[in-house]
Amino acid sequence: MSITLIREAKAQFKNPAVLWSTGKDSTAAVWLCKKAFFGKLPFPVVHIDTGYKFPQIYEFRDKIAKEWNLDLIVTRNEEAIKNNMSPKKGALDCCTALKTEALKDLIREREFDALIMAIRRDEHGIRAKERQFSPRDDNFHWNYTDQPAELWNLYVKPSEDFSHMRVHPILTWTEYNVWEYMKQEKLPVNPLYFAKGGKRYRSLGCMPCTVPVESTASNIDEIVEEIRTSVSPERAGRSQDKEKAYMMQKLRSLGYM
Amino acid sequence: MIILALDALDLQQVKKYNCKYLLQEEYGKTDLSDFTQPRTVVLWSSFLTGKNMEPQIPLKTQWEFKVNPEQTFLKYFKTYKTIDVPAFSHKPSHVKERELLKGFFEETATIEEFDEIVWKIHEENKKEFFEAVGKFDLLMGYFNLADSIGHLSFGITEKMAKVYQELEQLAKKIKDADDSILIISDHGMKAVGRFGDHNRNGFYSFNHKVGLNMPKITSFYDLIRRDVEK
Repeated sequence: MSITLIREAKAQFKNPAVLWSTGKDSTAAVWLCKKAFFGKLPFPVVHIDTGYKFPQIYEFRDKIAKEWNLDLIVTRNEEAIKNNMSPKKGALDCCTALKTEALKDLIREREFDALIMAIRRDEHGIRAKERQFSPRDDNFHWNYTDQPAELWNLYVKPSEDFSHMRVHPILTWTEYNVWEYMKQEKLPVNPLYFAKGGKRYRSLGCMPCTVPVESTASNIDEIVEEIRTSVSPERAGRSQDKEKAYMMQKLRSLGYM
Repeated sequence: MIILALDALDLQQVKKYNCKYLLQEEYGKTDLSDFTQPRTVVLWSSFLTGKNMEPQIPLKTQWEFKVNPEQTFLKYFKTYKTIDVPAFSHKPSHVKERELLKGFFEETATIEEFDEIVWKIHEENKKEFFEAVGKFDLLMGYFNLADSIGHLSFGITEKMAKVYQELEQLAKKIKDADDSILIISDHGMKAVGRFGDHNRNGFYSFNHKVGLNMPKITSFYDLIRRDVEK
């Protein structure tokens, strides 16, 4: 099914690309793209560099790009970086400038009409509304109340208000499915996912906004087993909501509020 | 004597950010095991009085709580100046700071607004502190930068590095003062995601050898008194 979606994207769009953060999901997606075209990717792989990523992400990216012979495009919002945009100016503003704007500029520059992305419905509520082919306008606006139907696995692009299509080949996968697939295919794993000193990263983002979770899983078999039995959400290390609620309670108990 | 009272200064972080001037000649952790919670006002008033003040300080009105100078080691000094010390000379501007902290959680204020007032208070205290150096037998300056910035941004290394560099500069500027220097925190801090929560890693350092081993925060009262008597 995932491979069908990727081939469908290539067939329907003139200029697709696949986004790759080097995390497990997008690494699996890039691998699926390779498999869909018998080992040779017929479109570029895009990495958005915020400048705040872990050094291991850059090392992993460069190593795998070489080994897999990827046509890698690294894009950065140089202007925002020059103007000292950073998480200390607010996480939302920072993500918008360093990720969203960087991607918008690249789409305009390279005229991409489809982006293959490794989002999954089980990551959080809003992604559960996503379709496998999901149109975006020039401002990346996603009208989730008016999306094309996807009956009988037929994917139709809208005729207007449409800048590019997001294609989600692993939308229906779970975190567990991804790890099983990584294991089955013996895919390379960013070392940040493996536990060191009782902690590991379960989801990779920028350094200032990502924290590790408690874990002893130091290899892929242990991660698969950990995820199989886990009851905590994958983005626990990235979501601020739970921590925010906890901190509010703590600050009250310390008399600050 | 000079006391740099640095709220939430944590030994682990001092080392992480390589703050050698904060470490001074002798440094270590303080023992806060006598307290049920590492509360700021409780710990500073206990430091000042040499007694565990926890039972006397209600949570809800803690910021209004004041100790009498006669209860504190300040009485041993002919002249003294305290700047912004909780439970003694804490400034009203912290009310606004706490409102913004609450506002952040209620989404009526931003982190930037909160940070701005924290740094503003810090700069005011710093100016007052350096103007007073050398003019009093005891100068005690309180700076809450590590605590306040840490509560909302402890997990953001870039921000905390800036905080610790700033506090390191305070220590550097007074290091050559011909005086006994004590740098002390009430408690330490640990990360909760991007946020920071109090922990029991209180910090102290002296610019001379004292030979302490995990002193209680209340035991500095006698040390300071003996220092005056010398």
